[in-house]
Amino acid sequence: MVAEGVDGTVTIKRRLSKKKVTAPASSYARGVTVELKQESPGDILDLERSRVVIYLEGTLPSRPISAEIVQEGRLFAPDTIAIPAGSTVSFPNHDPIFHNVFSLSKAKSFDLGNYSQNQSRTVHFSKPGVVFVNCHLHPNMTAAILVAPNAFVTTAGKDGKFNLSGVPPGEYTAVAWHRAAGFFRQPVKISASQTASLQFFIPLDEDGSIRSIARK
Amino acid sequence: MIMRFSTRAFLSSFLPFAFLLTASFWLIQHSVLSTVREGLRASLRETHASVARVQSRSNIHNNRFLRILGENATLKAGLQLVAVEPDSSAARLTLIDQLSELSGTLGFDLLAISDANDKPIGGVIRNGSKWTHLDGGGSVPQHAWPGEQGFLPIEGRTFQLTSIPVNLGDENLGRLTVGEVFDFAEFSSPTVLSRDGKLVQSSIPNVQAAELEAALRVCAPTAECEVRLAGTSYLSLPVETISLGDGYLLRSFQDVDAATGPVQNILAKVFLIAGAGALLAALILSAFSTRTIVQPLASVVRHLRESEDTHVLPEFSELPSSIPEIRELTTGFNRAAASIREGRMFLQRAYIGFVGSLASALDARDRYTSGHSHRVSQMATATAREMDLPENEIENIRIGALLHDIGKIGIPDAILQKPAALTKAEFDLIKEHPAIGRRILEPVGGFEDYLPIVELHHENWDGTGYPHGLRGDQVPIGARIVHVVDAYDAITTDRPYRPGKSHAEAVELLKRFAGTQFDSLAVEAFLNSATGHQNSSVQNLAAAIESSVPVTENVEHTT
Repeated sequence: MVAEGVDGTVTIKRRLSKKKVTAPASSYARGVTVELKQESPGDILDLERSRVVIYLEGTLPSRPISAEIVQEGRLFAPDTIAIPAGSTVSFPNHDPIFHNVFSLSKAKSFDLGNYSQNQSRTVHFSKPGVVFVNCHLHPNMTAAILVAPNAFVTTAGKDGKFNLSGVPPGEYTAVAWHRAAGFFRQPVKISASQTASLQFFIPLDEDGSIRSIARK
Repeated sequence: MIMRFSTRAFLSSFLPFAFLLTASFWLIQHSVLSTVREGLRASLRETHASVARVQSRSNIHNNRFLRILGENATLKAGLQLVAVEPDSSAARLTLIDQLSELSGTLGFDLLAISDANDKPIGGVIRNGSKWTHLDGGGSVPQHAWPGEQGFLPIEGRTFQLTSIPVNLGDENLGRLTVGEVFDFAEFSSPTVLSRDGKLVQSSIPNVQAAELEAALRVCAPTAECEVRLAGTSYLSLPVETISLGDGYLLRSFQDVDAATGPVQNILAKVFLIAGAGALLAALILSAFSTRTIVQPLASVVRHLRESEDTHVLPEFSELPSSIPEIRELTTGFNRAAASIREGRMFLQRAYIGFVGSLASALDARDRYTSGHSHRVSQMATATAREMDLPENEIENIRIGALLHDIGKIGIPDAILQKPAALTKAEFDLIKEHPAIGRRILEPVGGFEDYLPIVELHHENWDGTGYPHGLRGDQVPIGARIVHVVDAYDAITTDRPYRPGKSHAEAVELLKRFAGTQFDSLAVEAFLNSATGHQNSSVQNLAAAIESSVPVTENVEHTT
């Protein structure tokens, strides 16, 4: 098997978004006192890195998949997914309360209506783009679906490492996207039996502007 | 009641003074205190009103804020969900869950929601940092469910509620009620919450509900009034700008005593000190004025009392006061004293004159002794003057010498004029004359000073004389002088049984018996005075004295 593809690292040195954490779903029983916390523990930069989506722009084939975003504890989980165009995403409700999943994004707008526990709705995403998903009943619930133009899309791991394999040789534009930081592009050339290496720095400058530094 | 003039003057000047001062200070204090109290009350009222204004402003603010809350889209969505799924507990739970999410950020202590028909759906209550769910059908009975406005007691706490409708366009979806714990501790002043005259909650310590209700019954619901509770007076104002609805009435109380107390205390202290000072000043002034008035009188009185003790007639040498009345008084006293003294002197002179004539008469009984008393008086006076005796003593000696032989009135002429030597019995009779003289003069007032001369002018220096045999200094100087002069005159005068001796012989005799019969000092003084101005009568009689009896005896016999 030829190992042509892209290996890379996403480096984030600062937190890019704040995540509000509400009560867990187990506390929905009546009359139970709920304790609210502001922030989940753990390395916030790990979380930020795993929210970075990397895909390639260019003439490449798509391969649709089926993905799932559950509603649990008044949150979408996971809150960021990347899918190739033409994929379907199901939205099962695991909470004992109603949710009303909807999106007003250009790439795909939909309203799944109110549905309660153990019910699910499915949405087909044919157009590439970013789709933000919200809940009518819970304004704090939000998820992002990046619909990539082709099958060569992945999310970075907690350590920031990502890998796209089986990319046909050619010249492409590698794109890194973070919901708060935006798009970061850099050209990548993939040769036969070669693994290109990419580095994405997704920092915020001191003045607050977003800038990307790409290195070979 | 007997009261000294000074006491009377002091009291009559001080008491009205003190009374007026006390009364005026009391009045001033009273009026100032009530003014201060009124002023403080006014400021309390003002503070009160401004607090109420601030509260009402925050209420309006709250209302606007609530309207925004009523426009919450997710809440509307939730209400719609419940309307669509009326039997779904999950739908209700969704709504309640939304409320707890809201309340986490809004800071209310209670949120509750009911549907378009005012049927309770549910709510949440803050409990410290935790939230308890309220179930519309369960833990809270229907009748206790929050109304539009008012108070809701749950789990030992009272919540003050406000509610707003949640509308979607023209359609009413339900009603959102928010509540805050009605915390009396937030009111800086004691507060009472009542509903239709019944006490709901009070933060006035140590006052029973019944007493409070009774006290507040007299207050008009919207009027300010003053009530006394547990011995403290409060100014009570309805916090009317907080609209509570449903018959609820919130009154706040201000402890008037506590507010006015410190100022009143200070004022009372100031007035007390000022009053005491004024009284003290009045006391001193009265004492001073009394002294000024009474002093001259007192000095007059003192003078009179002194004269009473010393038996000297009062006379005011210098006028003790510039006060005309006092001057008149003293002048009057002076005049009276002068006339009394004059009268007394006249009497004394008359008496002395009388006694002198008596003495002259006595002398006249016997040609040998004629002029004897006057001569002795003259010579004794000269001798006394020679001895530098005080003037009043000289005067006493002059009169005493004049009277010294007055006792001879009681001696028969036969003996006195016997032309021969006296027998022992006759001589003893003669020796009686000093005592007789004393007896004659003793009852006469003012003659006390002459008595020693009359009685003792025959006492000898060595104690051999009569009537008492006194010696030396025991005999007063006047009597000693008269003794010498009397002897001289007797020696130099003719007697029926012998002629008078010469001056020189008499002097010789006096010198010889000086220190035994006579006081040597008196003899010396007499001789000095006699040589200074020789008595003519002495010269004339010198011859007569030649044939005198032996001196010792003769001297013994002289009269």
